[in-house]
Amino acid sequence: MADALIDRLNRTVDALLANGDASAALADAELAPLARLAADLRHCPDPAFKARLRAQLERRTTMIQALEMTQIREGFTTVTPYVRVSEPGLAEFLSTVFGAVETSRTSGPGGGVHREMRVGDSMLMIGEDPTQGVMPIRPAAFHVHVPDVDAAFERAVSAGAESMGAPEDRHYGERAGFVRDRFGNHWYIATWSSNMRPPEGVRTVMPFLHPPEASKYIDFLKAAFGAVEEERHDLPNGLVIHARLRIGNAQIELGEPDPPRPMPSGFYLYVGDADVVYEQAIAAGATSLWAPRDEWYGDRVGAVQDAMGNQWFIAQPA
Amino acid sequence: MATSTDPDDRPLVEAAQADPRRFVELYERYVNRVYAFAARRVGNRAAAEDVTSEVFERALANLRRFEWRGSPFVAWLFRIAANVIADRWKELAHEAFDAPADEAVSYDDDVERRAIVFQLVDRLPDVQRRVIEMRFVEGKSIRDVAEALQRSEGAVKQLQLRALENLRKSMGHHG
Repeated sequence: MADALIDRLNRTVDALLANGDASAALADAELAPLARLAADLRHCPDPAFKARLRAQLERRTTMIQALEMTQIREGFTTVTPYVRVSEPGLAEFLSTVFGAVETSRTSGPGGGVHREMRVGDSMLMIGEDPTQGVMPIRPAAFHVHVPDVDAAFERAVSAGAESMGAPEDRHYGERAGFVRDRFGNHWYIATWSSNMRPPEGVRTVMPFLHPPEASKYIDFLKAAFGAVEEERHDLPNGLVIHARLRIGNAQIELGEPDPPRPMPSGFYLYVGDADVVYEQAIAAGATSLWAPRDEWYGDRVGAVQDAMGNQWFIAQPA
Repeated sequence: MATSTDPDDRPLVEAAQADPRRFVELYERYVNRVYAFAARRVGNRAAAEDVTSEVFERALANLRRFEWRGSPFVAWLFRIAANVIADRWKELAHEAFDAPADEAVSYDDDVERRAIVFQLVDRLPDVQRRVIEMRFVEGKSIRDVAEALQRSEGAVKQLQLRALENLRKSMGHHG
């Protein structure tokens, strides 16, 4: 007596699972349609995987929502570099070299001065404080696009900056020269080559980070602040030579120097929900400097430090 | 590339563009098709899962750049999937590799049929669905499934047959 369908089917499924072959079943008219379905089911997604991915996407959408601002101060984007110096002079340097305009100056209760500068379409914050305070004074690096790099480079050197490389046509589509100001900040000054169209979202001043183990650091920025890779170039040895990341409506760049040359700095991060972004940053591995609190100047701000040493001031506008 | 089963997804896509939290609804609607597309082109389950994850991550990151140009939303997802797969080949090959052109994002009946099968599995009665998952996803033997469900091997074989017959009937309704 011939086998019942239930057993023929089971043998077919066993054969499929063992070697992916159900061809023997195709000659059996009763079994063939079930065998074809069974062959498709071998590729069925794991429900646990689908649930994990769904949860991951939910976390990211929550982050995107938390980053979004309904109101933002004019001229600002999600990420504003916060440069700390021990004495005045940087604002004048920026005005002389890049035509920066001071849009705000506030004396803090501790005696320091907070300045906000507009450079082209970008904003920078400068904290002048002779004391170290909670934020150590450390130089930062920036990529600045100007109409005439040679002229800007000359102005920078005349204003006391040290040349790190005279302007030259670079292979990546820019004419660029590099200087270090007297506070130690690096300025990678550049003019786009005539045949180069600036990528969408690139602004006049782009913060430029030099994290060791950049690949891991990019993963941190994705987990902590919902960063998205806009561009990335890795070497075969795993070094990230250049990457451009979007955080909210702002972009930052990074490149991994060899040997490592980290220049941790500070960023003011405007978000829609400081508490959610702060928690996400901590969950991604950042260390708390302080939990979100209402500051005297109106913003609700929490602060964290990442493994590279960058400090992020996560601010919800008043 | 559109199929007759494509729902009108424009309102949902526009809702997700305005409020990213609605993106999860798009995920639920298309995860089986993207997974089926990926599984058809890569060799194993882990790679299909990696590609599927990357597709939805990239889609979410770029959702606001998506513009209606006459193609359905799922065509955009398949194009992302083709790019993700090409990127992975590049990584593996460590050499120049031309990414597939849009036309190369071929869509076939196998992908559509499998996506429907995967969707229908979710609608099976619980115990039949568990048998299908344990057999086909986890690769368990009838004996192991019987042990896990505390049923006889004969009962599990019967559930396996009923599940496949139910799927066949439901597929008939999808024409």
